Amino acid sequence: MIIFLLLPALLLLLVVFVVPLFRYAWLSFHADSVITGLIAIPNGGANWLRLLQDLRYWQDLGQTLRFAGVSVGLELILALCIALLLDQRWRGRDVVRTLALIPWALPTTVMALGWRWIFNTPYGPIDHFTKIAGIGSLNILGDPNFAWIATVWADVWKTTPFAALILLAGLQTIPADLYEALRLEGGNALICLRRITLPLLRPYILLALLFRLAQSFGVFDLIQVLTGGGPASTTESIALYAYWNALRFLDFGYSSTIIMASFVLISLICVIAWIGLQVLIPTHPKSRGVIEL
Amino acid sequence: MNRRTLVGLLLLWSLGPLLWQVYTSFCSDQALIQPFVSHDQRWTLIHYQSVLNANPPFWRYLVNSLIVGISSTFLCLLLALPAAYALNRIPRQLSALSRLALVGAALFPYVLLFLALLELARALNLGNQLLALSLPYAALSQPLAILLLNNAFNDLPPELEDAAKLEGLSLFQRFRWIFIPLISPATASTAILVFLFSWNEYPIALTWISDSSKLTLPVAMARIAGSSIYSVPYGAYAAATVLGSIPLVLLVLIFQKPIVSGLTSGAVKG
Repeated sequence: MIIFLLLPALLLLLVVFVVPLFRYAWLSFHADSVITGLIAIPNGGANWLRLLQDLRYWQDLGQTLRFAGVSVGLELILALCIALLLDQRWRGRDVVRTLALIPWALPTTVMALGWRWIFNTPYGPIDHFTKIAGIGSLNILGDPNFAWIATVWADVWKTTPFAALILLAGLQTIPADLYEALRLEGGNALICLRRITLPLLRPYILLALLFRLAQSFGVFDLIQVLTGGGPASTTESIALYAYWNALRFLDFGYSSTIIMASFVLISLICVIAWIGLQVLIPTHPKSRGVIEL
Repeated sequence: MNRRTLVGLLLLWSLGPLLWQVYTSFCSDQALIQPFVSHDQRWTLIHYQSVLNANPPFWRYLVNSLIVGISSTFLCLLLALPAAYALNRIPRQLSALSRLALVGAALFPYVLLFLALLELARALNLGNQLLALSLPYAALSQPLAILLLNNAFNDLPPELEDAAKLEGLSLFQRFRWIFIPLISPATASTAILVFLFSWNEYPIALTWISDSSKLTLPVAMARIAGSSIYSVPYGAYAAATVLGSIPLVLLVLIFQKPIVSGLTSGAVKG
């Protein structure tokens, strides 16, 4: 009886999450493109060899890692500050909490278009500002040195509220008497942060970190609309490259190879981030595992 | 820095970009190009008129997204509610393992699934059908939905079901009269999060729908963006951004409580 309740959801999950992975693994050892008439023909490890020698892939991988590392790092730091601010008691706090959530709720493509106007040269506000400040026009979206920063900026803006909310939920589980005890021993705010807040928050930081790392490694919507991968594919992400390969070059075999490689990499990165966090933040005796099994 | 300054900075950071779009959408084209020169006609509604009179009109995309959002949410809950209940009735270790797998699936960057899902749409002839989109959307939001609803079922006292069984209520009756009313707050949170996901989803809608009258809002916005890079009608873009944002801003303002409780209970109970 119970199995019939689980079955529909289980089937759907299998079709959407598990079957694709096997399909990608299988396709990555086949030539399946316009040249083969979109029929899969086994080609050994040719796709994987091509991946190893594909400079554009390695460039995109580096760019994706740079994007993910910088934006997730900034997001977590900013989110912790916002969560600490929103955890205190003050008038109007609930209204601010709601308003601060708005960037997270908007569709990425909608605001990506908005950011394109804000970073526009020469009519956007940032360009006006740099001209008034005497720096001159920076041509943000047209300059490889600045375009990726614009993508990070827009991403941090959109996803920080989510991370802040997770950390805020964690802060609310920390009992106030822990802080009082440490203060009586003469601990200042910084020591409280290091010895109580961060260790007890670790499971929540881990959750936000893993979720954001995985999602930003697969960044797609934002880059496609904000820069289209340009200028000169200096902001192109791996997901965008896989998308071009599938839908523009109609090479499903190679696109699957890129996706399969990304899947393996993101799993590795998540494991490394998990271990890294355990090393970086000390364990608190009262810390309970949330997803630390 | 005192708290007032920090709160001001937070609001400026969060809402500034959006307010800039609102400002832009009411500016005439001349005022956008030369903001520091005074113009006879600084403020205008022309951008809104052009967006709403375009072919297809802008509200079409909002309606499409609404249809997809509601159908996906409904389908997702229909499948997730029984599964979340059943997850408590299977051996403990198996259920713990399932929950771990669900967390993994919820973290997964689903963008990478676009190619396999596209093949699926081709094989089953699901392309260019709005309602068909609710299949992948309901599936992709299953992990989060099951986890959140399972938390809610966990919080119910086990004696409740035993008592209902003694009263002779069937499984369906127990669902209808006991579980559904009791876990309605969690169901509401889940429904809103699933709706938000479906409303905002881009890569799958992009690959499944090409008919311009069936586009969902995110794809329509991206298509506007891709139409021309050099002569960009930013006033009209801004008007579209504002119109596309209003429903979600309202949604957040109205449903702030269930959204926050959904996200945080997901975090607290993993």
